[in-house]
Amino acid sequence: MSAGVAPDDGDDANVPTDPRPERDPRPPTLAVVVSLAAAAVASLAALIAAPTGGALLAAATVGLLAGALRRSHRVLSWAAGIGVVGLAVAGYQGGGVEALLVGGVALAVAWDAADHGLSVGAQVGREARTGRNVAVHAGTTLLAGALSVGVVYGVYLAAAGSQPVAALALLLFGAVALASALR
Amino acid sequence: MSESGGSATDGEPAERGGAAEGGGAAEGAEAAATERSVRREVETGRWDGVRGAALALVGVGVVARRPGLVLLGAVGVGYALYAGVGEAPAAALDVTRTVSDATPEPGDEVTVAVRARNVGDASLADLRLVDGVPPGLEVVDGPARVATALRPGAAVAFEYAVRASRGEHEWESVTAITRNPSGSRERTTAIEPADPARVVCTPELAAGGDLPLRGLTTRSHGRMPTDVGGAGVEFHATREYRRGDPLKRVDWNRRARTGELATVELREERAATVVLLVDARDTAYAAAEPAAETGVEASVGAAGQAFRALLDGGDRVGIAALGPVDCWLAPGAGTAHAARGRETLATDPALAPTPSGDRFYRSLWLRRFRRRLPADAQVLFFTPLVDDAAASLARRIDAHGHLVTVLSPDVTASGTAGERLVGFERRERLRELRSAGIRAVEWGGESFPVAVARATNRWSP
Repeated sequence: MSAGVAPDDGDDANVPTDPRPERDPRPPTLAVVVSLAAAAVASLAALIAAPTGGALLAAATVGLLAGALRRSHRVLSWAAGIGVVGLAVAGYQGGGVEALLVGGVALAVAWDAADHGLSVGAQVGREARTGRNVAVHAGTTLLAGALSVGVVYGVYLAAAGSQPVAALALLLFGAVALASALR
Repeated sequence: MSESGGSATDGEPAERGGAAEGGGAAEGAEAAATERSVRREVETGRWDGVRGAALALVGVGVVARRPGLVLLGAVGVGYALYAGVGEAPAAALDVTRTVSDATPEPGDEVTVAVRARNVGDASLADLRLVDGVPPGLEVVDGPARVATALRPGAAVAFEYAVRASRGEHEWESVTAITRNPSGSRERTTAIEPADPARVVCTPELAAGGDLPLRGLTTRSHGRMPTDVGGAGVEFHATREYRRGDPLKRVDWNRRARTGELATVELREERAATVVLLVDARDTAYAAAEPAAETGVEASVGAAGQAFRALLDGGDRVGIAALGPVDCWLAPGAGTAHAARGRETLATDPALAPTPSGDRFYRSLWLRRFRRRLPADAQVLFFTPLVDDAAASLARRIDAHGHLVTVLSPDVTASGTAGERLVGFERRERLRELRSAGIRAVEWGGESFPVAVARATNRWSP
């Protein structure tokens, strides 16, 4: 979900370049479908949280589709950035915690499926057998998101009301420090 | 999170060892036969920025006192952790490749089946395989690629078809690209199957009509009419009778008319020595459009027809290539020589369907070619004539006394102004060659024998 840089625009360079028109370099249909479905879920969740956020996420969905059609990682990154801003707006306007979390994971899956589809399209092509690869990848990302939400939401419920937001943030800061140490 | 070259070099030997270990544990003999080498390891950086977005959300959440945003940021941190976890797994694969027909005819479709089995201990969540199709073959059915996920012990198989073309084609290594589950790290591995597939496609040589040669012949009898009087078919001259002349060549009509004895001389028919010189420099691999026949392909096809026709006519024929890779078949005759010629035209690396890419030294080549060329040999030079070097070479060989006939396939197009200019330049070169006394035949859409027959009508014998 990169906001500024689009570092893997050079993804095509990973493949041995092949001048013959052997393959169709568009992303696999399944990847695009998964991406759009997840983006629709994210839009719906954001709409429930706050209408402005829903509108921004709808724009992000259009951006993801455009990125997949134009085969541009940069456009996908911008679409994901718009989506994050949309979620932030929805949260700022006081949207429900559950809807925000669902929207966040769905947005991550939508962007990830589209971006993964682009690299698969560039390296393998649309006509090749790619279904299993795309499904496994989208499933793993969804699982990672679901695990994060489970942990985060569980901590939130356990500490509901008693902890101020700042304490929650400090807790999170500790988690980030731990994450950086793991790298 | 930059592409760190350091970590790639550090990780490589250890991982390579790991791959061999894993393979050895699973299946000793087969794994030892399949060679694997890691080409490169990179950070794709596709999750770059997720941490920044997460922290920004947390910041906004704290300032605005919205627990929902802080929790959303926490999920973002979760994704950052997910991106950081795991190396790109080693592609511990056993690959086998089988072709349906190892010696196809040109134009046949050859089905290639590739099967890859994960013999390592780790599952490959994201595996993309690209088969190393030889550059001279065209994939006509399905891409030679697959993307999948493999558990340890699982296998993936895919099939595709290539159209066979002249030459000897050997498959290159299979490229395997693996990523960790989040796709943040990527590793490219070249896998050499134990038995790299190979097809050899040797076209039959069809005799292509009668090829007129120029008046440079050997002393052996053949089919070329010469300006030398002697035994033959066609009338040449009469001369005074000399003792020992055969009686059937005495001009008895003259004897009856004038009482003098005279002898009729007939044109002697002799055999020629011909070297078919095929232009195979990088520039000769030009084609009118990407999928069309290249100049070399057209030249080799025509040379095959000429080879067969000349050999059938009793001439001695040799083959040489003008290019960076050495190729020389000394002039000869007979069925064994015909087989050798067919083999040379089909599979010699100098006449491969794609350029070799080596450097070509013209003066060195010309010196070696002249040393090998028999003194009485004439040269049929097959070249698309797309540069001046070919034309000047034809003139130089001709100047050294080896009569040259230029046979030029037309590979120029006429779409853009630049393409028309190239076509114009080529016609100019042909015109200059003809004015220098070198015979030239060009053919484009029509077949080679038709073009030769048409050109022959213009030539004086």
